Amino acid sequence: MDNFQSKFLEEAGDLINQLEQALLTLEQDTDNPALVDSIFRIMHSLKGGGGMFGFENISNYTHKMENMYDLVRQKKLKVTREMLDVTFESADHITSMLNDDGSKTDAIAANEVILNKRIDAILNGDSEQDEMVSPAAAATEKSEGVETYYVKVKPYERIQQNGTNPFFLIDELAGLGKNKANIFYSNIPDFENFVFDETYIWWEMILATDKGEDAIRDVFIFVEDDCEVTIDKIADADIFPMEGIEPLLVCRHDFPFDLEKIKSLAGAVTALEKAKQEKAAKEADAGDEHIKKFTKESSISGIRVASEKIDQLMNLVSELITTQAGLNLYADNHKSNELTRITESLENISRQLRDTAFSITLIPIDYLVVRFRRLVRDLSREVGKEIIFDARGAETELDKTLIEGLSEPLMHILRNSIDHGIETAEERKAKGKPPEGKIILQAYYSGSQVVIAVTDDGKGMDLDKIRNKAIDRGLINGDEQLSEKEILDLIFLPGFSTSDKVTNISGRGVGMDVVKRKVSDIRGTVSVSTEKDEGTTITIKLPLTLSIIDGMLVRIANTDYIIPLSVIDTIFAVEHTKIEKSFNNIINIEGVQYPFYYLRDEFGIEGEKPEREEIIMVKYDDKKIGIVVDHITGEYQAVLKPLGKMYRQEDVFSGASILGDGTVALVLDTHKVINQFTKYNDN
Amino acid sequence: MDQEIDSFISFKLGEEYFAISVSKVLNILQLVQITKVPTAPEYMKGVINLRGTVLPIIDIRMKFGMDPIQYQRDTVILVLNVQIENENVDAGILVDSVKEVFEIKKEEVLPPPGIGSKYKSKFVDGIYKMSDDRFVMLLDIDKIFSSDEMVMLKETADSEESANAQQIE
Repeated sequence: MDNFQSKFLEEAGDLINQLEQALLTLEQDTDNPALVDSIFRIMHSLKGGGGMFGFENISNYTHKMENMYDLVRQKKLKVTREMLDVTFESADHITSMLNDDGSKTDAIAANEVILNKRIDAILNGDSEQDEMVSPAAAATEKSEGVETYYVKVKPYERIQQNGTNPFFLIDELAGLGKNKANIFYSNIPDFENFVFDETYIWWEMILATDKGEDAIRDVFIFVEDDCEVTIDKIADADIFPMEGIEPLLVCRHDFPFDLEKIKSLAGAVTALEKAKQEKAAKEADAGDEHIKKFTKESSISGIRVASEKIDQLMNLVSELITTQAGLNLYADNHKSNELTRITESLENISRQLRDTAFSITLIPIDYLVVRFRRLVRDLSREVGKEIIFDARGAETELDKTLIEGLSEPLMHILRNSIDHGIETAEERKAKGKPPEGKIILQAYYSGSQVVIAVTDDGKGMDLDKIRNKAIDRGLINGDEQLSEKEILDLIFLPGFSTSDKVTNISGRGVGMDVVKRKVSDIRGTVSVSTEKDEGTTITIKLPLTLSIIDGMLVRIANTDYIIPLSVIDTIFAVEHTKIEKSFNNIINIEGVQYPFYYLRDEFGIEGEKPEREEIIMVKYDDKKIGIVVDHITGEYQAVLKPLGKMYRQEDVFSGASILGDGTVALVLDTHKVINQFTKYNDN
Repeated sequence: MDQEIDSFISFKLGEEYFAISVSKVLNILQLVQITKVPTAPEYMKGVINLRGTVLPIIDIRMKFGMDPIQYQRDTVILVLNVQIENENVDAGILVDSVKEVFEIKKEEVLPPPGIGSKYKSKFVDGIYKMSDDRFVMLLDIDKIFSSDEMVMLKETADSEESANAQQIE
């Protein structure tokens, strides 16, 4: 597949996303012409792009959808539930064609036949009194509202290099109505100067259409920069049937139409004068509007950059940060005021560059929310429950890779809520709740973390049921005393599933343990809170980015470690004797008892222990737990590098980072350190 | 007849000679400071910085059931590209010394000995007799990296070295 095609596929994916968004809104607000317009435009873009890049199937299919929404636009059809359903399914249909690189498998083809029938039914349902043959035919046969235009299309020589075949443009233009066209070959150079993929010919066309000037402009929507288009209105009526016009409309290639004569004959001159004056005034407005529309769109969408380029930028920034650390070290060792000053200002710039570069990789959670709206809509209908889905803070931004990693666990959480959490309307009424259930997805920043919480107002989780199930499954002993939190944590254990029956909604055999694993894959944590008959909240906490962290550089024996600053609460210096004397790994500091882990021992590091050591209090859920290291070197911006496949067992380290002197420091995941050594010591 | 010529690089572990196809070797590095990764198995010596990426270092001697490596003047790191579970992974192995790069014709390679061999035949592609009559073991390094097994056969555990191998297991 060539470059343009893959670009189209990418863009088409975005368009489908926009389409779903527009449909969901249209569902709430069926009379909104702006939404119908935007759906029409999306279909048009898909059709145009599909045709241009050789995805005929997509182009053909979207053509029908485009027609349907064109009729809605013209108020000949009303938006119905069935129409929305068909469009939703069409979006899926187009997606599956896109996934197959635009080709049709048998299953897809069969689906298309069914969808076509439904579309035809919708179109015919309205045409009973109207006797509409087909929208295209309707367009040419109706003379009411027909206007005649002169269109000159002069493609630039490079147009084909962008994958555009100018003939398609002319074809599409001709499809708008009755027309006559001239081709101009005069620009074709000598054979030796001829470049095979350059375009030298141009066209002019007299076109009678009822679609208006915008439809003509839409044809050139993709090639605005690649050709010169002049559109001039000749008359407010169809001039083709006019007497004596025929000789003027004879196609003589390389000889332009005699516009003046045509115009005067059309008798439109006076009308045109009037129209021109009006138009001049209108054009000022319309022009403004056009500009406004375009600048608005471009300021929202920004530019599209290949993700490899971003990855490359991130790598360079990472290297810069590492080199910066080397410079800092050198400057520290060479006490020169000038050098220190330069190093500091350079560090300031690197830091800003780092932050800016990272913000590029962030995308809003909204990207996922559209998909979830669709999921909630479809699933709630499937299980016959009315559910309102509310997304708050969808503008919260997250690293691209994190967003990708979140999709599956969140999907699973939502499925659970729909399937098990929310009760049926009858049950809800009996409990005195509103009949429609509610699922709220909320995203917000909290320090260096992003919190995503999914709350439903369903029946909540039954602690006793969870406990009993865990006993049944042999996950806990019957006589174990567990706190509420500990019981809730049981649902994250592998082999635990509260639903007795397997449904295709909450999936087969996969449970919350998968959610937990997927979330930890992206260094996040999951927790749950629930209230009987009030609902359940599942909270996911994630680091902001994956690749650079602000850390504290510490040392044990001759190895450097990095602890993320975000987890550090306080640091105390302690005498080794005090640690030696402590009982059961509990230390008393300033009157408070803290549990702690002595990393030298836990890591099996031998050698002489220093007299004074540092105890770092790290946050662990709502507790503070001490981690003892030899020495604190200072704050450090760590570029996280993976430890690689061979060290995947060693998950107490979230990665490594290269220090200024070229040696490697290991980045500690304190949460995992505490988990692992707690388990180890318990056994 | 198959006239294919392969290049191999030979190295020493203890007193024995082994060789790996040159196509697997990315680089030969002088010994640098290795950052040990606590909690990892003993034969995984740690990681080093190889031009900005983190490279795991393996004490291949221990994988062969020999004593852990003693760093000496000739000790080097062979940086290899190995396939583990269909994934290409870069890793360094510590060897006592690198000997030479040599070319051999495929037809000159002897099949790995079955019975009576000190090493498991699945890790050995073949045996080659050098010009000075020494034998060198041509290793299948992908298999060695993919397997948790020791390369040395336990049944022949009569030497001091293989006794160590059992301790490690």
